[in-house]
Amino acid sequence: MDCAEIRDSFTHGEVPSNAAVQAHLAVCPQCRELFEHDAEVGRSLASEAAFTVPFPDELFGQIEARVARETGLRAWLRSRPSKLRFLVALASALVAVALGGALALRSDFSAYPSARLVPLLGVYLLGICVALGQELFLSARRGSFADHFGLLLGALALPFLIALAPATDASRAFGPEGALGCFGYGALLTLPTAALLWAFDRDDRLSLRTVCLSAVALGLSANLVLELHCPSGNLQHVLLGHASLGLAWLLAWALTRRLSRIAS
Amino acid sequence: MAAYISGEMAAFRELFQRYTPLLQRAMARDLRSPEEANDLVQQTFLHLHRSRLDFEPGRKLKPWIFTIALNLKREYFRRSKRRHETSLEDDRVAEPFEGPRGQERSDAARETTRALSALPPDYREVIELHWFGGLSFPEVAEAVGSTVAAVKVRAHRGYVALRARLGEQVPEPEAVPGPKPSPEGIH
Repeated sequence: MDCAEIRDSFTHGEVPSNAAVQAHLAVCPQCRELFEHDAEVGRSLASEAAFTVPFPDELFGQIEARVARETGLRAWLRSRPSKLRFLVALASALVAVALGGALALRSDFSAYPSARLVPLLGVYLLGICVALGQELFLSARRGSFADHFGLLLGALALPFLIALAPATDASRAFGPEGALGCFGYGALLTLPTAALLWAFDRDDRLSLRTVCLSAVALGLSANLVLELHCPSGNLQHVLLGHASLGLAWLLAWALTRRLSRIAS
Repeated sequence: MAAYISGEMAAFRELFQRYTPLLQRAMARDLRSPEEANDLVQQTFLHLHRSRLDFEPGRKLKPWIFTIALNLKREYFRRSKRRHETSLEDDRVAEPFEGPRGQERSDAARETTRALSALPPDYREVIELHWFGGLSFPEVAEAVGSTVAAVKVRAHRGYVALRARLGEQVPEPEAVPGPKPSPEGIH
């Protein structure tokens, strides 16, 4: 005898009372509560459970029609297994980093201290993986925008913290110039990842959670690209050209969400 | 589920027939119209379709479907903010829609519905999944992403609170009309 069997007895109109029930009640405080005061709670819940909620005959036809409309590239992409969607999105972010570095590697890269580079890569990659994982896998603890706000703040602040860390003579000598170029370079290289994340999203209307997590993943990817591309440690430059990318992606996703809601 | 993943729409219909009544019953309680409940059920099956390749053979399907449904329901309430508004007004808890003819509810059933609606969401969620969704406590734990022990504690506290509320709401037959009744008794 277990809790589900006790429940089933109630829903079949009985107040269970045999020896097996008594043995279960001796060790199960929550089921004992069902029997208090002439089994008031057990009877009440059973009567509620007996109340069937109607659904129209055409409901299955409507679902079938919606499923039938699931055709095309986006439908195919969003129905891929989550592990594959995660790996493809991560690979896209990494390709952007590699491409960004290959096209224009920072001038002081040979002098770049590995003691800084390795942990920095680790922190960025961890942040990207956490954001993509929470966004793309089905989770029973799926948080809201507010739950991921800390992650978002961390992603927005990370470029500043890294700019404050000591790097090379070249990075200290660099001024605020070229911030717009960095912004465009980072945005352009992370655009394919943004398109993939949009295609992978399984909600018809973007949730705030998706907006937040996508901005985190894209902002961090863009800043990782720029870390290998731009030597500037100037705070003004970092604010305008690097850190602003996280915020820009957040606004872009929020705007997409707003437009999709208007369209629907 | 395996037959459905391999492309049999007949298997999809069978899943629909098996799980729709449970989903409807578990979802409808917080919603104000059958249309809202139907829409969430539709979205649940659409997500099931989009996520079908994520399903691991050997895993239980019911908690998995309910995880999808709960996420959609939470998102729905975030959008509409209805739950927030309801919780701010203790004496105006959501009253689910009525059933078809022949299923008119008794006053006692209405009181149970109101008492349930007034429970803290964490308690109500596990009670509704267990009683109206037909999930066992281990399945409820899987659906809400918690442990079996934690889910049982929530159920127990919910039952205690429910009994207290039902005790307040059901008048004694021989009770003499007295002073002003408690606010929970007025609806």
